[in-house]
Amino acid sequence: MAGVTPLYDALWEDYILWSVFVAAIAFGWLYHHSYFYRSDDGESPNVDNIEVGVFPREYDNLRLEVTWTVLPFILIVWLTYISWAPLDAVWSQTGDDGFHGGECAEGESSENYIDDDGYVRSTCYHEIGIAGQQWFWDFDCMELSEDLCSTDFAIVEGETKPLLNLKAGETYLAILTSLDVTHAVKNPGFGMMEDVVPGYELNLWMPATEETSFLMLCAEFCGDNHAYMTAQITVNG
Amino acid sequence: MNKDAVMSRRLVILSILALAMVVAPSVTSLPSGISGVKDTGCNCHGTAASDSVTASISGLPESYNASTTYAVTVSFTGGPGDEGNANVGGFNLWASGGSFATVDSSTQLMGASEATHTVEGNDQRSWTLEWTSPDSGDDVAFVLHANSVNGNEGDSGSSGDMWNKAEATVLGFGPPPPPEVDPFKVLATLIVVSAVLLSIVVLYVFYRNNPDGFEWEKFAPWITEWLTSTDHKKIGTLYFVQGLFFLGVGGIMAMMIRVQLSSPGNDFIGQDYYNQFFTLHGTTMIFLAAMPLIAGFANWIVPLQIGAADLVFPRLNALSFWLQPVAALLIFTGVFSGGGADTGWTGYAPYVVTETAHAGVSMWAAGQIMLVASSTLTGINFLTTIAVARAEGMGWFQMPLFTWSILIANLMLFLSIPAFGVGLIQVFLDRTIGTAFYDVAAGGDPLLWSHLFWYFGHPEVYVVIVPAFGVISEVIATSARRSIFGYKSMVYAMAGIGLVSFIVYGHHMFTSGMSPTLRFVTMLTTMLVAVPTGIKVFNWLKTMHGGSLVYRTHTLWTLGFLVTFTLGGISGMFFPSMGMDVHLHETYFVVAHFHYVLVGGTVFGFYAAIYYWYPKMTGRMLDERLGVLHFLTGFISYNALFWPMHRLGVVGMIRRTHTYYITTDDFQALPEWAADWNMLISISAFLFFASNLFLVANMIKTLVRGEKAPADPWGGWSFEWMCSSPPPTPSFDPHNLPVLTDANEHVANEPGRWGKWFQRLMVADDAAEEGSH
Repeated sequence: MAGVTPLYDALWEDYILWSVFVAAIAFGWLYHHSYFYRSDDGESPNVDNIEVGVFPREYDNLRLEVTWTVLPFILIVWLTYISWAPLDAVWSQTGDDGFHGGECAEGESSENYIDDDGYVRSTCYHEIGIAGQQWFWDFDCMELSEDLCSTDFAIVEGETKPLLNLKAGETYLAILTSLDVTHAVKNPGFGMMEDVVPGYELNLWMPATEETSFLMLCAEFCGDNHAYMTAQITVNG
Repeated sequence: MNKDAVMSRRLVILSILALAMVVAPSVTSLPSGISGVKDTGCNCHGTAASDSVTASISGLPESYNASTTYAVTVSFTGGPGDEGNANVGGFNLWASGGSFATVDSSTQLMGASEATHTVEGNDQRSWTLEWTSPDSGDDVAFVLHANSVNGNEGDSGSSGDMWNKAEATVLGFGPPPPPEVDPFKVLATLIVVSAVLLSIVVLYVFYRNNPDGFEWEKFAPWITEWLTSTDHKKIGTLYFVQGLFFLGVGGIMAMMIRVQLSSPGNDFIGQDYYNQFFTLHGTTMIFLAAMPLIAGFANWIVPLQIGAADLVFPRLNALSFWLQPVAALLIFTGVFSGGGADTGWTGYAPYVVTETAHAGVSMWAAGQIMLVASSTLTGINFLTTIAVARAEGMGWFQMPLFTWSILIANLMLFLSIPAFGVGLIQVFLDRTIGTAFYDVAAGGDPLLWSHLFWYFGHPEVYVVIVPAFGVISEVIATSARRSIFGYKSMVYAMAGIGLVSFIVYGHHMFTSGMSPTLRFVTMLTTMLVAVPTGIKVFNWLKTMHGGSLVYRTHTLWTLGFLVTFTLGGISGMFFPSMGMDVHLHETYFVVAHFHYVLVGGTVFGFYAAIYYWYPKMTGRMLDERLGVLHFLTGFISYNALFWPMHRLGVVGMIRRTHTYYITTDDFQALPEWAADWNMLISISAFLFFASNLFLVANMIKTLVRGEKAPADPWGGWSFEWMCSSPPPTPSFDPHNLPVLTDANEHVANEPGRWGKWFQRLMVADDAAEEGSH
């Protein structure tokens, strides 16, 4: 599927499975009861002797109510648990505890790969800079060599936009800064986004695992030309 | 030159031409030029066109501008026409529009749009003349015939001559462009037209009720009563009308948004207006449509349900309402003061205080500050009323669930909206007197706004949905002819939602650089919302068990609510999970989710409420057939409208942009089918909008001539079904308030331990106070 990372795929399938399960119970129940317990003649027997001005007879079952408090609770704990590791992966720390090691020395390669669980792992990462400004992006390759990172221009729907060339197999850590208002880097190709908040320096992992080329968008409303605040990211072989 | 003269001249020319053709073999070249040959060709110079002559027209533009003069050159090459011949060549140029003018004596006109050579021009191979374009904008066709003449004299006159034809088309500019239309003028016109239609309907209903009512002595007190009333039912109706009116306004704005998005790169309203429309759509729908609808039903039903004569602060209640239309005017006034707000309903700092944002943002903030005041007063009023004005015998845990839902919603609102008010005042001051709360250069913190806004914003969306829970609880129990299953767990679940709502707002800021620990905590708390919501859904389902479900329109909307709200709840579970949230954040998946819970939840819930309580409010039964039609058309078009948005979000279509990008050879963006799906969504949006006209028609029709409603048409138990439809004023005789009895003997009208504690919290001196009521 376009723009969907392996990490996202793994979670998505689990969640869809549980969604279908929950929906099947709820809708099966709903359709059964709304058909089976319908009133045939429109005039209905008053099951609980409801009358005006009288608080109706209590109708409850503590065991059932506890059941559908506890079971959903267990389910959400499970869903939180399976989302825990992706949390670490998405906002991995730098350094040995993280998924991407420390910053690469000159000439060193990230050699990233996708492990069995769908997480990108690398030996080290490269730092690049992305600055947002109304209404364009500015890429900064810092001290990286030309083959690791270079900037150029691309034509998107007839307009000149910045182009960032990255290299497949390398992992990048983008330092996000804003010169005016809040923007957000949306990289559908990497399945990641992060806000670009003025006065803050936020980070965004950009694990370039395979050759691709996609449109980077601004996902936080920033004014008139917000929709045209695009850039192209190309991952070369 | 008048038309007749032209015509007669043409006739003369044509007869000369006819004569010339008769004597054709004897002429060498027609010194007077040739005319009328557009279709037949120059048969005076040979019967058929010849390939060896190439005629050409140059100087024509590809497409013309209105009433512009172009120099046109016609020429030919090839054939026997050569320097030194007695004659060299001639031409005829015909145009389907515009007019020719000569520039020298080598050409002449044969009518306004036909030209040919003159005697002098007979010795040339190219001629220049002027063509003035028409202003019709239609395409203009040109037909040129050129003769190449060998100049031999005598009998063999034209033998050996050759001719050929050339055609050209100059594109027009289409019909002249209509004057630029300001989308807001369209919106304002629609609003004015709706308001006029609405007032005609109101006046007609008024007239039907009392044909003599238009005498000033009768009309003045009637209108004064509406404008100054402190009666909870009248104020409720005012809220209700306001809510429905702005639901329509917000809907029209949504239609404009959908037309803009129906195809990529569309320029129907363009980015400037799109940004204002999506901002005002959100603000209108949440604050001016959903909240007033809730307040309308709360005003109408809560005092009736708890057996109170009115709210305890009726004047405060009137003030709460009258702040609303004024606030609405302020919010929309921004449109006329340099552009409406273009910040999104979230109004993220620092954009909201920058100069690039429209000037109307100040008015937008001012209007919302008034809404904050209105909501705060409403909160005080309802909390107090529910705490002190319940009928005898009605403990906390004998309150109808709709009253409970209003209590919890107002408690949430009362605790959260001050934060929003503070943020709005900061923004307003930043924009007007130059404070620097959100000026980053001066040390302002953009995330402060996010915290203040979402501390309010997340409880706010529950404030909007919880009253719908109350409605559904009432309707499903009444329709199934059962007590609600697990009354107490319903109350605890609502209270749980209210509690959890304050600790989950961080998920709106997942991508704003939160610490990983906090991200994990927020993920867990956000997931927790599913537990109380799940309890409610399962309790509703269990309520139907063993009952006998009576299918009325409100039952249908309730079952529809259960479907859409459950789907919305399930899609909501995808956001707390980080690995997916970073992909889905700010995409149409979010738009689909919150429309599933806000439209499929709140709006469907309140449609159920309209069908359920309308007979009580007006004394007229709604038409069930129109109601079923409303449900079927509405439910189907609603799902066709919002369900496809999930998939668009998954493939990466982002919110709040007036256009979107389709994958090209150079880069990946949205797949090609995204454009078709957007068109489908836009069409469904119009259908959904139109389906609601059934509701409006139903309400007006039954108001004028509906079946009279009995006091308890559906068989409910709470006090509102005790009084007549519509209820008298005051709703209950203050000296003879109703008393609630309880079918469960063991409860014996005593509040539980927590209830007592809570009651003491709300009312200091409860025993004394309760006695005096």
